[in-house]
Amino acid sequence: MNAVAREVAAIPVRTSVQTWEAIAGLLASAGSPERGRLDAVTNIAAILITAEYTRQAPIVVMPASGPRVRIRTVHGMDAVDAIAGEIRLAANPCADPGWSMSLPCGIDDIEEMRDALRGHPGIEVRDVTDGITAGQTTPATGTAAWSVDYDELERP
Amino acid sequence: MNTAVHVNTNVYATTHVATNLLGGIRSIIKGSGLNPDRLRDQWGTLEDGTATWLASRHLKTVTLEVYEPGKRPTDLVGRFDFTIDYGYYPGGDGELWLDPDTVAYTIRKNGSFPARCQYRIVIDNAPGYAEIPGWTATAYRSTAGFTRHTVGTALGGGSLGAGLSYYTENSR
Repeated sequence: MNAVAREVAAIPVRTSVQTWEAIAGLLASAGSPERGRLDAVTNIAAILITAEYTRQAPIVVMPASGPRVRIRTVHGMDAVDAIAGEIRLAANPCADPGWSMSLPCGIDDIEEMRDALRGHPGIEVRDVTDGITAGQTTPATGTAAWSVDYDELERP
Repeated sequence: MNTAVHVNTNVYATTHVATNLLGGIRSIIKGSGLNPDRLRDQWGTLEDGTATWLASRHLKTVTLEVYEPGKRPTDLVGRFDFTIDYGYYPGGDGELWLDPDTVAYTIRKNGSFPARCQYRIVIDNAPGYAEIPGWTATAYRSTAGFTRHTVGTALGGGSLGAGLSYYTENSR
């Protein structure tokens, strides 16, 4: 299965909201309709980032086409180092409709967050200890180069 | 769980304290049986205000005020204060840390609130603070008839420390 992994510096380099804005910036262009869908869940995602669920397990994006994207947040002193190493994606996986997203969430918060996401189709939370089940995505077309982090693929 | 990170930069300390302080308030809300929806819906505004006013050193206290609509003579039923000490670490190079046990202890000692109770977040700033969209001037509810309990410092970093205290009604 194709996947691309990225790390995004979080608290204390960025606030939780700024961290989500950085992640959304990787996934969709500012001002686009699909970016609006990401912006609409900012508070929900920011709380998941504050709880560091996104450090324990990745945010997983399944694009309409192309490899899935796994994004983890980096916290504490590691975030200070991580911000300099952030790498943009070769293409915006949420540029076109048809993408979906899975956000990691602790069991104590999952019912609340599922309720909060009812009005946001395509974006869901999963137990932070669960894996992801989804079909293989179609490789992206064009000349964009994708980097694959094989260590990330080995993580549970 | 204790997390500790050594950083000399106060910018990082203010972000660490601001965001995790709100995380502590969220834990109190959920642990006290209150509905977290309101906090979640206002998260961005709350974080923006807290981080901005911490960075400018205007922020004195972040308060979770719990009230029961219709209760007389006062509708206040509980209050939790995170009081900022800008000189907690005189050298200004304190590690970034948070102690969830302090919050958990407070929740356990305070107990839970009836589901009909509501809450709001109030920030007490020193004069001269910058206006931030989404925030309006207000006054605290009276704490007459309540006793303040100081728990200890819940989180800190740089030169900052945030002490946690809570109020209980004397008749409880």
